[in-house]
Amino acid sequence: MNRRQFLQLSVAALPALGLVGCSKSQPLKTGIHPWIGYESLYLADEFGWLPQTVELVKGQAASDSMTGLLAGELDAAALTLDEALRVFSSGVPLRVVAVTNVSVGADVLMAKPSITSLAGLRGRAVAAELSGVSGVMLFAVLERAGLSTNQVSIVDLPVNRHMEAWQSGEIDASVCYEPVASLLEQAGGTRLFDSSDVPDTIFDTLVVTEQAARRRSAAVKDLVLAHFRGKLHMVRSMHDAIYRVATRQGISPDAVRRSLATVMLPELAANQRYLAQHGRIEVVARRLAETLVSEGLMAEIPQYQRLCDSSFLPRSLT
Amino acid sequence: MTNRFLSGLVLFFCLMPTAWAANPGARDAVRFGVLSYRPDPVIQTHYSLLADYLSRETGLSVQLLVLNQDDMNRALASNRIDVFLTNPSHFLVIRSERSLTGVLATLHREWAGQATGSLGGLMLTRAEREDINVLTDLKGKSIATPGMNYLGGFQAPALELWDAGVDVQRHNRMVHLGNHDRVIRAVLTGDTDAGFVRTGIYEELIRETPSLAGELKIINPQRLAGFPFAVSTRLYPEWPLVALPHVDSKIVRRLASALFALEADHPAAQAAGLAGFSPPADYQSVEQVARTLRIAPYDQAPRVTWVDVLNQYRVWVLTVAVLFALLVMTSLWLSRKKRQLATEERRQRELIGSWPQPMLMIRNGELVKCNRAAVELVRYTSEASLIGKGLSAFSPHSQPDGTSSLQKADALIRRVTTGEVAQSEWLFVHSDGSDVWVDMTLAPVYEHDQESPSILCSWYDITRRKYAEERQRLALRVFENAREAIFITDAHGVVMDINEAYSLITGRDHKVAVGSLPPMPMDEGSAILIAARKHGVWTGEFSSRHRDGHAIVLSLTLSSVFDEQGQLSHFVGVFSDVTQLKETEKQLRTMAHYDSLTGLPNRVLFSDRLQQSMAQARRQNYQLAVIYIDLDHFKPINDAFGHHAGDGLLVEVARRMRSTLREEDTLARLGGDEFAAIVVNVADQQTLEALLARLLTKIGDPVWVADHSVEVSASLGYTLYPQNAELDGDQLLRQADQAMYRAKREGKNRYCRFSDSGS
Repeated sequence: MNRRQFLQLSVAALPALGLVGCSKSQPLKTGIHPWIGYESLYLADEFGWLPQTVELVKGQAASDSMTGLLAGELDAAALTLDEALRVFSSGVPLRVVAVTNVSVGADVLMAKPSITSLAGLRGRAVAAELSGVSGVMLFAVLERAGLSTNQVSIVDLPVNRHMEAWQSGEIDASVCYEPVASLLEQAGGTRLFDSSDVPDTIFDTLVVTEQAARRRSAAVKDLVLAHFRGKLHMVRSMHDAIYRVATRQGISPDAVRRSLATVMLPELAANQRYLAQHGRIEVVARRLAETLVSEGLMAEIPQYQRLCDSSFLPRSLT
Repeated sequence: MTNRFLSGLVLFFCLMPTAWAANPGARDAVRFGVLSYRPDPVIQTHYSLLADYLSRETGLSVQLLVLNQDDMNRALASNRIDVFLTNPSHFLVIRSERSLTGVLATLHREWAGQATGSLGGLMLTRAEREDINVLTDLKGKSIATPGMNYLGGFQAPALELWDAGVDVQRHNRMVHLGNHDRVIRAVLTGDTDAGFVRTGIYEELIRETPSLAGELKIINPQRLAGFPFAVSTRLYPEWPLVALPHVDSKIVRRLASALFALEADHPAAQAAGLAGFSPPADYQSVEQVARTLRIAPYDQAPRVTWVDVLNQYRVWVLTVAVLFALLVMTSLWLSRKKRQLATEERRQRELIGSWPQPMLMIRNGELVKCNRAAVELVRYTSEASLIGKGLSAFSPHSQPDGTSSLQKADALIRRVTTGEVAQSEWLFVHSDGSDVWVDMTLAPVYEHDQESPSILCSWYDITRRKYAEERQRLALRVFENAREAIFITDAHGVVMDINEAYSLITGRDHKVAVGSLPPMPMDEGSAILIAARKHGVWTGEFSSRHRDGHAIVLSLTLSSVFDEQGQLSHFVGVFSDVTQLKETEKQLRTMAHYDSLTGLPNRVLFSDRLQQSMAQARRQNYQLAVIYIDLDHFKPINDAFGHHAGDGLLVEVARRMRSTLREEDTLARLGGDEFAAIVVNVADQQTLEALLARLLTKIGDPVWVADHSVEVSASLGYTLYPQNAELDGDQLLRQADQAMYRAKREGKNRYCRFSDSGS
């Protein structure tokens, strides 16, 4: 008996044992958008490793997944930690069930050559997308620079419009990510700071609604398992995965290789560590929530006993 | 096989001198093996420049050897090559057979300006094959392949098919052709339905023969941006360049630096279609393919020990073990329970079977089961003779209450079917025709596989009770309707129950009589109870009083009743009112001894009295006189005034005489107008004669009869006793009679004494 058959038998046996209460119903609707950290789920979908219990709802950007969660149309989504907190704060309780990737250089502060240090940002116009992860990155930058938000002139601008603002001289610095970062670099920008300078801070996660976590634990487990299978393929068969990611994102295989270098894909054990009680995620989430509230980007600090739930992680992948 | 062997042999002899010459001579000679995945001349052309490049760069003599897989294996076995370039799958087999230092570099190919370090498989069929379009269409088709240990040419496509549910090693006829060109040729000629080749071959062949493009069709094409070749499978790392362990590390270093230094635009690279070499790739994914497909070197399933299973599936094993243990325990428990149940059932069946009270089971109005007692009650021979019959089969046509047995039984069963418990008395007829009464109880028994309940029926034989009841009813009727009064008392004689006759006779109704004593003789009283106790019965007549005061005579028989211990428990008395009877008896007695007209004793009583008086006279030694009296001239009065008047006269005369005589004296009427008297204790003659004279006077007084005053007289004769001779009463009366006749003769209305002389 191979593992697959065994699992099928196990799944068939579970209801008989009375361990699973939820009935077979609607699939777990999971919002997802293109991002190297979420490619595992796209790959799983492509190779047919997603069971019937999980359905991917493919959006263009994180905002699609966030509105879907808030509207109650989604049961789960792939979001950055700050995005998850924003949704939580808006009234949809969530649980973080997996960490898909940790940014180690994907988020960058590009500055005009005249600015040679972080302190040089004082009084300059810095562009960032406050409603997204680059906002979080900006606060990390300012914190590192020892500057408060009113000591710089923050220009709230979607990342895809930073290039034109840069060229028109509206901004002196930009908090952005690939591919905008590479474009700005070509336009003479210097890489002053990136997320590898603030390790273990910018997380991409899989979140599920509290309701789904309670009522549809089997489907949530299926989702998490699919992510790890996809990730295993990315790591083990990188030769194949790179071409597939490149095909979907419409970029060259080399660009995929480069962007893969800016993220860490945490293994199962690392996930257990991140999701532990008072683990890294909960610590970062608390700090992040306080910052977001104090900056007026979030109404209130979400109230929860536990934000993370490691119980949906598979025991092993072999 | 023979061909291949021969070519191998030829090659071996070709190589022998070279190897032999190279080894001892130039120590720095490097033998570079390349797998002939295409025809040997093609490979030779492609890679000879590379060998030259390496020789030039490293200063070593790099010798190119183009070998097929078998030859390469043999050459490796005898250490006749130092470095080699082969496909990843073949590399895995080699690596498993001998320990290698590992991969030196991974090859990168270039095509149409695009470089790649990845390879995949291509599944081809002829363009006109309408029946083969998707992976599953390949099931059962013949497929050409260069060999099992080709990644792109076998393993990569096989994995895609495996995922699609097609196991090529079982479902397909695989044709092993040794190299990729032959595979394409086999597909084109139609020798096989489809063919597997590695990526790049197709493009090279099309460049050589552009018409091929229209003849072939790609199955399961993948759209992979930036990948220069058509591909049907996922991608894996390109060929590894491997150095064998016996090669000096300095040589390896020099070789490696030369390899990495090779640029894409170098003629040697151009000729081989290479983009250069990169640091070794991770061949894990290739291993995974071979493992999944169970292909060498992973064709042997890893020996899975129990410990491995336990480690991997600890929770499951534990769960299954616990469940199994539970199952065993449960089944043991169940079987024990079942045994207990069976024993219990047997015991119950035996108990019911031998239970003295008849029990039966009725289903749909028919007996389905009964015990021995039931069979015995209806006096049938066996259980079988009862089964299948209805209750009415053993019953008379109708029950004593008038309903037909059949209808009554149906009504009972209907009631019980609705859930009630019914009870009824029932009359059965024995097989010998005699009646048997039972008290029948019917109760519903619900069995879960039955729609309507079965009926449990029990009989209780009440025949004896029924007869006893009958007798009791009769006794009660006797008790109630008897003319004789019947009463029952307790051991002390206090009345407990009476019948109606008792009340009629005594005038005491039930309320009054019960609790008091029954009528008893005045003189004996409760002594009769003692007598009855002693003798068992007392009988007697006695006077009593009706409640309203009038006297009654009762004839009572009082019997004692003893209980089982011989103790007196009750008295039963039966009495009747004999007052009327006693009266009649007294009248009869009067009629025998007294004259009905005058009420005086008659001759019979007179004689009796005379006898007694004579005895008394003798005893007390006094004299008595017997007087015979006859009325004179009575007949004419009787004739003149009628018998009624005569009778009145007689009554009056008798009354006068009676009042004249003393109380102790006796006056009797002997018949007609004749009377006699006994005068006791006669003192002397004179006193007697004075009495006689008074009698005559009284008789002679006028008598008012029938409105007439008449006068009669009487003639009296008398005699005394005792006399000298012993006489009896008759003789005395005769003497007085004779004396009376003398008085008649002497002129009537006088008295004469008897004398012997006178007669």
